[in-house]
Amino acid sequence: MSVDLEVDLGGLQLRNPVMPASGCFGFGREYGEYYSLDELGAVVVKATTLYPRLGNPTPRVTEVTGGMLNAIGLANPGLDEVLAEELPWLAGQNVPIFVNVAGDTVEDYCEVVEQVSRSGLAQAVELNVSCPNVKLGGLAFGVDATVLRGLVEEVRKVCTLPLFVKLSPNVTRVQDLALAAACGGADGLSLINTLIGMQIDLTTRKPVLANKTGGLSGRAIKPVAVRMVYDVAREVDLPIIGMGGIYSGRDAAEFIMAGAWAVEVGTANFTDPYACPRIIAELRSFMQEEGIKNIEEIRGCAL
Amino acid sequence: MLVEENKQLTRDIFALELTGEFPYEKATSGQFVNLLIGDGKGHPLRRPLSIASCNPETKTLTLVYRVVGDGTKWLSERCPGDVLDVLGPLGRGFPAPQNPGTVLVVGGGVGVPPLYQLAKELGAAGFKLHIVLGFKNQDEVFWTREFAEFGDVVVCTEDGSLGKKGFVTEALNVNENWTTLYSCGPKPMLKALKAHFQGRDIKGYVSLEERMACGVGACWGCTCLDPDGSAAKRICKEGPVFSWEEVSL
Repeated sequence: MSVDLEVDLGGLQLRNPVMPASGCFGFGREYGEYYSLDELGAVVVKATTLYPRLGNPTPRVTEVTGGMLNAIGLANPGLDEVLAEELPWLAGQNVPIFVNVAGDTVEDYCEVVEQVSRSGLAQAVELNVSCPNVKLGGLAFGVDATVLRGLVEEVRKVCTLPLFVKLSPNVTRVQDLALAAACGGADGLSLINTLIGMQIDLTTRKPVLANKTGGLSGRAIKPVAVRMVYDVAREVDLPIIGMGGIYSGRDAAEFIMAGAWAVEVGTANFTDPYACPRIIAELRSFMQEEGIKNIEEIRGCAL
Repeated sequence: MLVEENKQLTRDIFALELTGEFPYEKATSGQFVNLLIGDGKGHPLRRPLSIASCNPETKTLTLVYRVVGDGTKWLSERCPGDVLDVLGPLGRGFPAPQNPGTVLVVGGGVGVPPLYQLAKELGAAGFKLHIVLGFKNQDEVFWTREFAEFGDVVVCTEDGSLGKKGFVTEALNVNENWTTLYSCGPKPMLKALKAHFQGRDIKGYVSLEERMACGVGACWGCTCLDPDGSAAKRICKEGPVFSWEEVSL
């Protein structure tokens, strides 16, 4: 049986619904040495800020049971270098590019989004309002519905690309933030970012991460993420990119059944550098076995 | 890859010899591999382990590791015939000496093995080596005889239970005519070495260690800074070996 993996993500045509998640894939070059990036539905690049950021002190990553904590702190080379060095290379790889954008102020976000839109090098913007590891910006915008709506409204004015807002799970009701982003003019939603966690070293008797807290990702968070995608899909009529602990084609199918239009794969890339192409192949096999002709047939079927 | 041997060297240090499919010819001394623990379900992060020895002719790869947690404990329980998922070789290894003359090789603790392949290659290339290996005490000492095949070996222990008493720097006379220094070990040791040879005409290379996630340069988990703190470098990609002038220790 032939299976159609293509998805129309609010006007954006993707050859399949699987893309690496921001922060887990650099700007594509490293995993591009392992497989051809045009196998992917899209690539979501590392969070880009107006100016270069060195990130947090190390240790920045640590393993926990079934997952990991990270506190990278939005390390990136800054907008100018991303536009001059990274995106032109990635744009030559025949894969749609989502640029993840972070900032300290509304003006920062708008400046980056406007220049990314104008560059002609990207196909979509993913607004990062949910990084748990930086003091300013990031999560400050992502936990208050009024603040979030204001930010999305301003960014919308300068964004000529499809605008996705990446939501934090570190809130009481994720649907409220999803609705705020929708009201602000978002074209779609990505969820979830990492959950705030901590690990303590029993020898030093102090937190392992230099930042003390970090974002929890990996298999451990999948049920939380599926539940949040489900909750948002029930209340908000926007395309959703679901993520959180996706390691297999069956995991991807679970998110799609919960209401996701596409999925992002993060931590799994670290465990298996070939995770994304493997997940695409497994999703295809799953659909063949189950007699599912296209993604739409199962999208939101659990709702 | 297949486990051929998993030999206990000290209380908590093991030498793992692997064989089977691996791009042996591509590996250079100072590079590392990223090894999957179990099926990766409980342990999503691979363990970065330095290549201690790589022999394309016998198709063997030797990794030396210290048991520090559940992941390395699992590794220490692997037996001949077991299969391991090994990603690599990764990172940038030790460059060849730029000048002729005596080469200084300094290792500390579990930082000793990554220098073994280097010493083997430099010895074969005809370089004269002076090797200083530091350990906590006599129970932690390993591989000193192996290194002796390639040059003079001085052993130091912090408590003086074997060899010279004290840190490796105390066994190093800065007035000796060494042209290049290769080093791997705890950061305070690397820092002390750099300070020890401050102002001397010696080229220094250090191999750094950090907690890693991807191991391939994608996640920016394992960075270090340049000396003025204005730019970050990825230990897994631009390193783990750096010239000591290009990083802040």
